[in-house]
Amino acid sequence: MTLPRWPGWRHLPRDTRDTLFLLAIIAWTVAPHIGHLPLWCSLLTAAVLAWRATLALKHGALPGRWVLVAVLALAAGLTLWSFHTLFGKEPGVTLAVSLMALKTLELRARRDAFVVFFLGFFLVLTHFLYSQSLGVAAAMLVSVWGLLTALVLAHMPVGQPTLREAGSLAARTALLGAPIMVLMFLLFPRIGPLWGVPQDGPASTGLSNRMRMGSVAEVALDDSIALRVKFDGSAPPAHSMYFRGPVLGRYDGNEWRPLAPSIPSPRRAPGNLRPQGVALPYEMTLEPLRLAMLPLLEASNGAPAVEGLQVFMQDDLQVVTDRPVLERVRFRAEAYTRFEHGPQLATPALRDYVELPANFNPRTLAWAADLRRQPRYANADADSLAAALLQHIRRAGFSYTLAPGEYPGPDSIDQFWLDRKAGFCEHFAAAFVVVMRALDVPARVVTGYQGADPLPVDGYYIVRQSSAHAWAEYWQEGVGWQRADPTSAVAPERIERSRNLVPAAGLVAGALGSLNPELLARLRTAWETVNNRWNQWVLGYSRGQQFDLLRNLGLDAPRWEDLAMLLVAALSTLASLGAIWAWWDRHRVDPWTRQMDKVRNALRRAGLPCAAHEPPRALARRAREHFGDAAGALEQLLLELERQRYGQAARARPVDALTRQLTTQTRLLAPAAAR
Amino acid sequence: MDAEPLARHAAASTAGTPIASPAKWVRMRFRAWAQQRQGATDTQLLTQRNVYILPTRAGFMFALTLLVLLVASLNYQLNLGYVLTFLLAGSGAVSLHITHATLRGLTLHVRPVAPVFAGDSAMLDCVLTSPDRARFGIGLSVLADGGRKVSWSNVPARGQENTQVSFVPARRGVHALPALKAETRFPLGLFRAWTVWRPASTLLVYPKPEYPAPPLPASRPIPGGGAAKRQGHQGETEGVRAYRRGDPLKLVVWKKAAKAMECGGELVSRDTSMAVHLQMQLDWALCAGMDHEQRLSRLAAWVLAAHRAGVDFAVLLPGQALPISSGEAHRRHCLQALALWK
Repeated sequence: MTLPRWPGWRHLPRDTRDTLFLLAIIAWTVAPHIGHLPLWCSLLTAAVLAWRATLALKHGALPGRWVLVAVLALAAGLTLWSFHTLFGKEPGVTLAVSLMALKTLELRARRDAFVVFFLGFFLVLTHFLYSQSLGVAAAMLVSVWGLLTALVLAHMPVGQPTLREAGSLAARTALLGAPIMVLMFLLFPRIGPLWGVPQDGPASTGLSNRMRMGSVAEVALDDSIALRVKFDGSAPPAHSMYFRGPVLGRYDGNEWRPLAPSIPSPRRAPGNLRPQGVALPYEMTLEPLRLAMLPLLEASNGAPAVEGLQVFMQDDLQVVTDRPVLERVRFRAEAYTRFEHGPQLATPALRDYVELPANFNPRTLAWAADLRRQPRYANADADSLAAALLQHIRRAGFSYTLAPGEYPGPDSIDQFWLDRKAGFCEHFAAAFVVVMRALDVPARVVTGYQGADPLPVDGYYIVRQSSAHAWAEYWQEGVGWQRADPTSAVAPERIERSRNLVPAAGLVAGALGSLNPELLARLRTAWETVNNRWNQWVLGYSRGQQFDLLRNLGLDAPRWEDLAMLLVAALSTLASLGAIWAWWDRHRVDPWTRQMDKVRNALRRAGLPCAAHEPPRALARRAREHFGDAAGALEQLLLELERQRYGQAARARPVDALTRQLTTQTRLLAPAAAR
Repeated sequence: MDAEPLARHAAASTAGTPIASPAKWVRMRFRAWAQQRQGATDTQLLTQRNVYILPTRAGFMFALTLLVLLVASLNYQLNLGYVLTFLLAGSGAVSLHITHATLRGLTLHVRPVAPVFAGDSAMLDCVLTSPDRARFGIGLSVLADGGRKVSWSNVPARGQENTQVSFVPARRGVHALPALKAETRFPLGLFRAWTVWRPASTLLVYPKPEYPAPPLPASRPIPGGGAAKRQGHQGETEGVRAYRRGDPLKLVVWKKAAKAMECGGELVSRDTSMAVHLQMQLDWALCAGMDHEQRLSRLAAWVLAAHRAGVDFAVLLPGQALPISSGEAHRRHCLQALALWK
């Protein structure tokens, strides 16, 4: 198959050009999905688009319906084969992309074209399920503009409008619509999801209520942002930034889960928190983690108030909400980096934290029993046992790696603790807790985030999903729960410096970095700042900010109904303005006609009746006849008007000065005629 | 010619036709009312008062798409999804105004229409004038046609564009020009703005000439008459006449003769003898045994043939006689008389 020589956009027949333009826009819209799509889908889409482009260039006939049905069935079958379902995000996107490609082979009637456009808009939205970054937004803005341009082209049925012409018309439409967009974006009430929580939204979280060996490894590679913190005063050092997530106290040999929550006693603070030192107020912006909890900085003093959520603090200091948090929330809280918590004296409830499943990890249990038998540790307290374990981790050849490989059950702790000794935070935390429990010390796994990006952007410290962490807590009589981070024993830099993954510099960044490191750093900071503003003001715009806006407008206790009313009022005002413009527009006449009307009215007032069809020259003649020589100046002016309108160097618009002169001259004649 | 009585006549005739369904009747009554609202005029300025706008099917589809996008944005809490949805909604709302403004301010004008024969299509030559900006994708069609034949045009800024629409008048006589519809979906096709315009001009429709026409009736030679007129055409084949005894065979126009004899006529000779001028009477009475319209058809065909043959002819209708003459003006005159008879 040989393609005809490319003649350039300008020389293509209009139909071909329009089709190729639409295909290019579709390709641009689909392209960012390549990373998420199965390989077959990308190849199928590319092949279909290329085929359609060839047909357009060679003016070939479109394939018959049965070919399309066959390819569609193939695509559906392959989707089913790839995902084992047709529903959900990934299969949905795959099917939508395939449909879009196939629909281009069926562009016959206007209705088909509309299906392509609307499917295109939908595909644009699906990108936001994966990322809402500035780059994606810019790429999708181009897509929307392209689709609108193609839509405009489809409604210019005659002539050969240039792409630039159609593009500027589309851009004008979108720009004129932008105020409506801003208004609706600001005021449209952000109500929660309408039905069941989508399991596969954007930014699948690193945290969950369960922990299995290996599940955190996937998260460590996810560099997306989990939360941002801004401190009123100076920020605490990175190594003491622990954001407390689910506390996992029950272990069944495979999986760690939370214990059934105990009801906090109303008489004292939850978890019997005993803060020390001064409070550290901070503001947190939390991305949708899809968990019914808020990872607060340890140890925050009670549950913060969050718009639209009911927040409680449990006895294990975990802050839970009444429903999964699916929107971005922003709130203020206070934390004490120095604190004690938990019961100081032994309680029956603590016995839950020493339970181990029977018949699991026998060698580790034996190792712990051996440790206990050593005279030094026979009667040691929890603190010294913990110190001994951390010492063991430091000395016994453990290594920190994000890819330790699988630890197949049932005795995974045995394999880690005694054989392979390589893993990351959750292995260390889980093994530490198991050994502590084997030593009859109450202990539990705490998950959450640890650390933040070293440099704040715009005052905000960014905590990424890659900072997901697991550490341990053990109970020391007389003190309460104590934090122990076994990972820091083997990889202190993971805790001290916090950013554990440094992406390799790209080619350009690398070259720039070697030439002018300062410039690179400044560019990076500027970019991060822009990105942060984007995140804060566009992506972070939610119900809280909406209510802030209403408060600034003077409403004391804003509700979402107020938002809706304000939106309706604003839109009605805009609509009325539009209607008024259209009404005013009806009185608009051609400026030349308006000028002639003025001249004629003036002549009529002066006593010279004149008809609508009389041109300036005829008026000049009749004025001369009617007023005699006194009308000489008027005659000249009328002839000048004629020259301006119809002469060699005719003007585009009438000159107001001439109109004024004409009316003055005519007025001067009026008394002359009366006399 | 006075347009009003004709228009009223046209309206009355449509009202008299049998009606299929109540919905159709309502639509027709509404259309009649809407048309009466606007007087008939040859030059129509489109304003707020006579441009209508409604969403198209694609517009409803677009609204549905927006709803889907909105629900997805709500359920996944996608702020960029909101941005996309509202950007499209804003563009859609703006496109409503642009669509309406594409027609508003436009001036429609129809040029005088040349008479046609019944059954032929009449071309209406319309001029669209834009006093300001360029306007795109304006479709003009005959309202009664139901949008089957739409002629699309763009109007340049502060300029004019000519566009033609055709319609086929069924009967002879004077017809009011059909109501025309100007519509546009520019720019996004989500809305359709339209206007209905009744031009005030009328159209003269001649009777449909009978085909194949029987031979012309016998003519009377008038020696010397009109010879001077045709000096310049000496020797050219001017026309045909009925075969007369003594005509040489080479003068017989065999093709025409064959055609004429097929219809029961006679031989036809070439008429080159300009010294002898012919005259004929195209008489209503010659077409006995046919109904009125058929007679008018035949007379129309004869008028055309006689004019082609260059013969002087008179047309005799009951109650109306057109004197013997020839030439383009006479032909037009005769056809007009046939068109308007009774």
